[in-house]
Amino acid sequence: MLILENVSKNFGGLAALAGISFQTNKGEILGVIGPNGAGKTTLFNLITGVLSPSQGKIIYRDTSLIGVSPHKITEMGIARTFQNIRLFGDMTVLENVMVGAHCRTKAGLWHGLWRTKAQQAEEKTIRDKAYEVLDLMGILPESGALAGALPYGKQRRLEIARALATEPELVLLDEPAAGMNESETEDLRLLIGKIKKLGKTVILIEHDMHLMMNVCERFVVLNFGKKIAEGGSAEIQENPEVIEAYLGKEDA
Amino acid sequence: MEQLLNPYYLQIAMFMMINAMLGVSIYFTLATGQLSLGNAGFMSVGAYISALLTLKAGLPIYLAIPAGGMGACLLAAVIGIPATRLQGIYLAIATLGFGEVVRVVILNMKITNGALGLSGIPSMSVSISKWVAALGYGQGIAGLTLQQIGNIAVIILLTLMVVFLVFFAVRLRNSRMGRAFAAIKADEHAAEVSGVNTTRYKLLAFFLGAFVAGLAGGLAAHITFYIGPKDFSYHRAVEILLFAVLGGGNVVWGPLLGSAILTTLPEILRSVAEYREMIYGGILVLMMTFRPQGLISEETIRFWQSKLKASDETAATQGKAEPARRSAD
Repeated sequence: MLILENVSKNFGGLAALAGISFQTNKGEILGVIGPNGAGKTTLFNLITGVLSPSQGKIIYRDTSLIGVSPHKITEMGIARTFQNIRLFGDMTVLENVMVGAHCRTKAGLWHGLWRTKAQQAEEKTIRDKAYEVLDLMGILPESGALAGALPYGKQRRLEIARALATEPELVLLDEPAAGMNESETEDLRLLIGKIKKLGKTVILIEHDMHLMMNVCERFVVLNFGKKIAEGGSAEIQENPEVIEAYLGKEDA
Repeated sequence: MEQLLNPYYLQIAMFMMINAMLGVSIYFTLATGQLSLGNAGFMSVGAYISALLTLKAGLPIYLAIPAGGMGACLLAAVIGIPATRLQGIYLAIATLGFGEVVRVVILNMKITNGALGLSGIPSMSVSISKWVAALGYGQGIAGLTLQQIGNIAVIILLTLMVVFLVFFAVRLRNSRMGRAFAAIKADEHAAEVSGVNTTRYKLLAFFLGAFVAGLAGGLAAHITFYIGPKDFSYHRAVEILLFAVLGGGNVVWGPLLGSAILTTLPEILRSVAEYREMIYGGILVLMMTFRPQGLISEETIRFWQSKLKASDETAATQGKAEPARRSAD
């Protein structure tokens, strides 16, 4: 579905990512792990078109994503959330999700001005869809509240809801459990399960290894911008390079 | 009545409407979080195009004014594509510079008559009264003189335009495009990644603002008979900004209220004219300190909406209770 081939990104002289290759299989949950500064978020920025790679190919459903603007990539079916939550704080929860549905609608100025039948029908469709997604994320009762006024855990969920409203095939979640307590993380695990059930493919960045081992089927491990391992949980847990990256080298 | 209809008050009413349009024009760009100070420049382009088309090409006023708006819009396309890539204060400086460039160009061109400006611009109210006279009402209607009829007609026309613009702005806010605008204003990067074509909408907002400012310029030219480069200087740009600062830039009602206050205030303060600038400055400092969001914010609107809803509901329950009491009697 998504194929990365030998992707590198340099910031000046610093190689944030060097020669990364992997691909996702449809419907799987792929975990991307690695110590801080390994290049995980840079990877997401490359896939979503926020940054363009210095080298390599990124191909989504047989189309290259290089040079495509972020909103187009979202339209093509890739949605993401941010490590540091980025909501539209002074808009309502419902409006936030409806913005997500923007790329699936087309009413222009004229239709908005005269509230034509087509525009009203479209508004109703995306409002219903937004309610549906909010319900799925368990924040339906908050739909009228301002996004900025939500407690932290619910803001995280709203961000996922907004991403789902773009009707993605591939969802990139950047540290969704950051700052969450144990029970919130458990709820999140269930939510990610729900996303998978919708038939979507998920790439998950997360430091909470307990959560990762529970939800991800496959892992890509990064360290200092390089891929050091790829495979199932048992495989990477036994990989000496992974152990070294996380725990340091054993003294000889 | 006679006093209300004197040309001086009618003129103030006209300027209030023109300024209201300028307030809406800055609201459009602010709606996407862009602080553009180029509206005075676009206004002058609209004013000069419209004035020249009527003076030199003999175009009727009702065609010249929209042409002025379109001209401003075209220029917005030229400078908007690079300018909308700028953020925050950089855009403000660039557009302020643009306004000055326009002023200097007008000052040095032959066709615009340089610093002397253009005079003898056909007046809207005069042409309306001529038209009324041609219909056979040469003596005026209902005790109003032809001049008064012309002026009132212009005010009605301007009011209708402002009403339409506000209607447009409100509908826009509650549509898919308005949500995209608001999302860009809140977090441009998140909006782009959520699938909003931010470049396109920022440009659209820029065009809308330029068009409305150009239109207001054309209308102003045909109200005052005279325009000069001084009318559209830096002061005008700041004045338009003040509409939004005083009234509030988050909802369309803000700049509207700001423009109404700042148009009438100089007239009210005529007796203390020497202190006028000081009073302005004082108001601004107080606003920035105590109410930086302006007089009307989104919260104000929500507050009054819930208040109105509540009073509607109590009225409804009282209405229901009434017949019940009667039947009990």
